[in-house]
Amino acid sequence: MRGKRAGGELLYILSGIVFGVFGAAFTAGVLLLGTALSVTAIGVPLLAAGLLGARRLAGAQRRLAAALLGERIEQPPPRQDLPGFYGRMQSRLTDPYGWRAVAFFLLQPPQALLQAATVIFTWCWGVVALTFPIQQALGWNRVEGGWELAGFPLEPFPRTLLVSLAGLCLLWLAPKAVHVVLLPHRLLLRLLLGPRRPAARIRDLEESRALVVDDSAAVLRRIERDLHDGAQARMVSLIMQLTLLRESVPEGPARELAGKAQETASLAVRELRELVRGIHPPVLDQGLETALAALADTVPIRTVLRVEVPRLRAAVESIAYFCVAELLTNAAKHSGADEVRISATLDGGLLRIEVADDGHGGATVLAGSGLVGLRDRAGTVDGRLLIHSPAGGPTRITVELPAGR
Amino acid sequence: MRVVIADDAVILRDGLAQLLELRGHTVVAAVKDAEALRHAVAEHGPDIAVIDVRMPPTHTDEGLRAALQMRRDHPGVGIMLFSQYVETRYVKDLVAESAAGVGYLLKERVADLDDFVDALRRVAGGGTALDPEVLPHLLGGPRGTLDRLSPREREVLALMAEGRTNDAIARRLVVSGRAVEKHVANIFTKLGLPPSGEDHRRVLAVLRYLEGT
Repeated sequence: MRGKRAGGELLYILSGIVFGVFGAAFTAGVLLLGTALSVTAIGVPLLAAGLLGARRLAGAQRRLAAALLGERIEQPPPRQDLPGFYGRMQSRLTDPYGWRAVAFFLLQPPQALLQAATVIFTWCWGVVALTFPIQQALGWNRVEGGWELAGFPLEPFPRTLLVSLAGLCLLWLAPKAVHVVLLPHRLLLRLLLGPRRPAARIRDLEESRALVVDDSAAVLRRIERDLHDGAQARMVSLIMQLTLLRESVPEGPARELAGKAQETASLAVRELRELVRGIHPPVLDQGLETALAALADTVPIRTVLRVEVPRLRAAVESIAYFCVAELLTNAAKHSGADEVRISATLDGGLLRIEVADDGHGGATVLAGSGLVGLRDRAGTVDGRLLIHSPAGGPTRITVELPAGR
Repeated sequence: MRVVIADDAVILRDGLAQLLELRGHTVVAAVKDAEALRHAVAEHGPDIAVIDVRMPPTHTDEGLRAALQMRRDHPGVGIMLFSQYVETRYVKDLVAESAAGVGYLLKERVADLDDFVDALRRVAGGGTALDPEVLPHLLGGPRGTLDRLSPREREVLALMAEGRTNDAIARRLVVSGRAVEKHVANIFTKLGLPPSGEDHRRVLAVLRYLEGT
């Protein structure tokens, strides 16, 4: 068992020297070249390719460590590129595992030097010393006046056996020394080539999720604007042209047909309007206060609105809007309330929205209830939904959304 | 009528101008943003301005803000907001000061040219024209008060708020003029408003009621 470990470690050092030197040369080369050329068009792609290469090399190093050192290092999470050329570049350049692999390989040369010195000093010298009597007997490895150590002659036989003994000691020591010298290397392997700690990973996930949430809010807003300026405007234009047609043809089937076509187009315009309302109500562009006031106008209950918040992240405003829309609809439909109070306040980076009615209560988060959807929606930004709705009422539902990054 | 059109979509400006000219009205200017609208109104002194709510640069409520400013600078010019959206906020902002000479129509209303031109003429003459799609939102105020009205009376109230005369309401609902008069009288009684003979004044009364809710 120990012999196997010693053999593996020795082999690892020997192959690791070759591999490590190659890895170090590769990463240093790409890094230098990529940085030097970063003013040109190929610098950044080169750097990105280098980071990807370093990541691949790290994979090979992990397999080598697993096979020879028995050091099983978990794979880092798979890489995912953002779409498009620039997305790909950005993903690769900001890939933490690529940079960690680079750091690992740049730290390789001094380690390899130390490891090589250890192998030479223990294994090689041990073998040389052990076989000293044989060398002398064969007439190899002679020096003028004979070998001596601090005035103490090491020849002839049987004194040469003392050297042999020293060699034996070195060889006994060799596996232990190699093992010890590999300890910091194993630590580096685990630290730099393994998955990062959960905390760092969670921070990463939070960041990427915030990006996705903001991105989808921006996309929805763009879709809304494109529809408004594109499809919707064209449909209205079509309605105008059909009106022109109706005005310019005599009474008869053609005019009737134009009228029918107008009805269809009007229906399409209405449907588009409803669709847009569901994805990004235009009034949201004017801020939460205006948007919530517009919402409050649409419910058949008396509403008292108090909004004291500045402009926030688009995604947060949108979630807040749809939450209030749902809660107001619920209050109007199910609570039997006469009045509903809506307040939105910002408290230390936390947007707190409260919708309270004087109805008969009993609102719960059950499967199929709209409140589940709200809780999920709020969850996308780590928000939460607090329900206070005892049977008999009143109902007070609070949505808390972290408003900052 | 002498009309100024403000809309950032060229196909809509042109289409609308064509339709209005077909009915013998003069489009004195067709502009693409609020700034140009301000100049056009100052220069031409039109009877009415047809204004898209969303215009550059922010595409949010430039048209509405330009309309509010116009109200102060040129109170005699009728304002017809022309939008793809039902946002009661816009209407409330607009009628907050005075509902005379303002209108809010969805863009697809151009399908009925007679109705559309009628609405423009009413607004140019100091009346009101609110889109039927917008009214239910405004009428959806507190229960209690509106619950007192019968469904028929609510219908009549909606048509009144659109700015229609009793005759027009009678035609629309296919009832006699006398029946409509009775409904109107009931509405005023139930809402505690004194009846009035003048068309646009009763619309103002309706809107004041809506505003007060």
